[in-house]
Amino acid sequence: MSFLTLNSLSKTYGNFTAVDAVNLEVSKGEFVSLLGPSGCGKTTTLQMIAGLAEPSAGSVMLDGREITREKPNRRGLGIVFQTYALFPHMTVAQNVSFGLEMRKVGRAERDRRVAEALALVKLDQFADRYPRQLSGGQRQRVAIARALVIEPPVLLLDEPLSNLDAKLREEMQFELRRIQQTVGTTTIMVTHDQGEALSISDRVVVMEHGKMTQADVPAAVYDHPATEFISSFIGKMNNIPGIALKLGIHASGVILPATDCPATEGEPAILSLRPERITIVPAGQGHLHGVVSARFFFGSHWLFNVDTAVGQIIVSWPNTDGSLPASQGQPVGLSWSPESARVSARTRETSRIDA
Amino acid sequence: MTAQTSSTPWFLSFPGLIFFLGMVVLPLTLTAVLSFHAYDFNIGVLDSYTLSNYTTVLSDPYFLSIFLRTLRIALITTVLCIVIGVPEAYILSRMWNPWRSIFLLVIIGPLLVSVVVRSFGWSMLLGSTGLISKASIMLGLGPVRILYSEAAIVIALVHVMLPFMIIPVWTAIQKLDPGLEPAAWSLGASRFTAVRRIILPQISLGVLSGSLIVFGLSASSFAIPGLLGGRRLKMAATVVYDEYMHELNWPLGAAIAFIVLVANLLIMLAYNRMIEAKARKVLG
Repeated sequence: MSFLTLNSLSKTYGNFTAVDAVNLEVSKGEFVSLLGPSGCGKTTTLQMIAGLAEPSAGSVMLDGREITREKPNRRGLGIVFQTYALFPHMTVAQNVSFGLEMRKVGRAERDRRVAEALALVKLDQFADRYPRQLSGGQRQRVAIARALVIEPPVLLLDEPLSNLDAKLREEMQFELRRIQQTVGTTTIMVTHDQGEALSISDRVVVMEHGKMTQADVPAAVYDHPATEFISSFIGKMNNIPGIALKLGIHASGVILPATDCPATEGEPAILSLRPERITIVPAGQGHLHGVVSARFFFGSHWLFNVDTAVGQIIVSWPNTDGSLPASQGQPVGLSWSPESARVSARTRETSRIDA
Repeated sequence: MTAQTSSTPWFLSFPGLIFFLGMVVLPLTLTAVLSFHAYDFNIGVLDSYTLSNYTTVLSDPYFLSIFLRTLRIALITTVLCIVIGVPEAYILSRMWNPWRSIFLLVIIGPLLVSVVVRSFGWSMLLGSTGLISKASIMLGLGPVRILYSEAAIVIALVHVMLPFMIIPVWTAIQKLDPGLEPAAWSLGASRFTAVRRIILPQISLGVLSGSLIVFGLSASSFAIPGLLGGRRLKMAATVVYDEYMHELNWPLGAAIAFIVLVANLLIMLAYNRMIEAKARKVLG
């Protein structure tokens, strides 16, 4: 049985539908990410769970109890806001203690639990500091401690890492996951960062235009995106338009193989191929021929732009031993295993390559 | 950029300094000097110097009662402005346009009306044959005369001073993170508790500056007590006017003015110190 359930939850502002009949079941202890571009309704969905926005239709069930119309201060959910919303006139300890005070927890137990929560986020040395004396990452951790100290049934994170710089964000991702696994709180995180969603969640829920379009484990969302939007939003993807064949497509006089081929033969179709699934082989070999037009170094891997008969193809090449398969201007062949390519029916005009 | 000399800041602030010296320091100095001059009812201001003006004022129960009344009215006005203005500023900050603009205009409205017109408006409402009195008679409660009482002065002062409280408080609220209240709610605080524990402590500096403006302006107000307090109820500014214009005892008027100025400064500085020290420690 699911712990937190959203039943066709909707929110409309006048004629604009921000959230359109979202159904979601979250199990106890699960870490679920709501992923989507800005304006897709993910934050509104979170606010409806938190009680900060009133749903226009549908219901929210928590542990068998309906909380759709309950006031936010009665829900007892832990929320970490994008701006952290720490109380600037209170010390770190007072911030964390606030929720316990509201619950009329006795002084001794309060002190003990505050110390525990601060130890969990590794801030025990900073209890008497004010938020303004902390760095961004430390404030973030205070916000998490403050939300977790009340032992909420569900922890809601609204873009928790978006205010941190890249290096810190990566550290905090792992930290967030460690904390969540230590306390085992059911967690829902809203994010627009696909890397963040994939790396730390048990399940990723992708939203577009207020609708939920896919909810699956991160690897499945990455390898089997349900829509073309997801395929380009999550990771890089080469989308090659052509005519569907039995096992692949026919595009610009070239036959591109794929095994996962549900499109009807002879109909317009798109072949999707992740850049890291393509291998660069010597010119004259492989499924596709082209010329390297540009090369970018990313440390852990290289990105090649290869001009081919079907347009520009992005290839990612791991930087394992420092050897380079090709230099700029060099003719190369591109090869892939047909299992890694997917063909889908072409529904509308789309850009061929999305970053 | 050319090299800066030590005279550049002086040169740049020269116009402001001249203005300040001419408009503030010079008249104040002249008043201060005047307040030490002796006075004779038959001859006028004498060339000799004396402290008698100060001893007269500070030992006369008539003047002391006026100082006390001034202090009382200014304090009550300030407290009422806080009680009405802070919630009003909070409500204003939760409003969306166009309502916010409309209500801001309503709040600033009194400042757009001449003080004389505004005061006569109040005297029509508050007088013994005024609207409030007539309504009271119709309800069988008998006539009420608020006009020419301290209450009338306080009502009119609160009316015109509210914008000076609301605007600094509103500005302080606008600077707050809008997520603070939802954060407090999510931790179990009621709406009231969230405002009391989270919002109020952080806007204390706004309330402080509002209070200082309201107190200072109320304590030195002249037209409202003059028109709504009548001949009998004097406040500091009106009694100074009396000494200058009716008694023609300028040195005594100057002494009263100086005592009021110093008292006002002392009260405001003490209050400022008290609140600001507390707030700065916490808000940084």
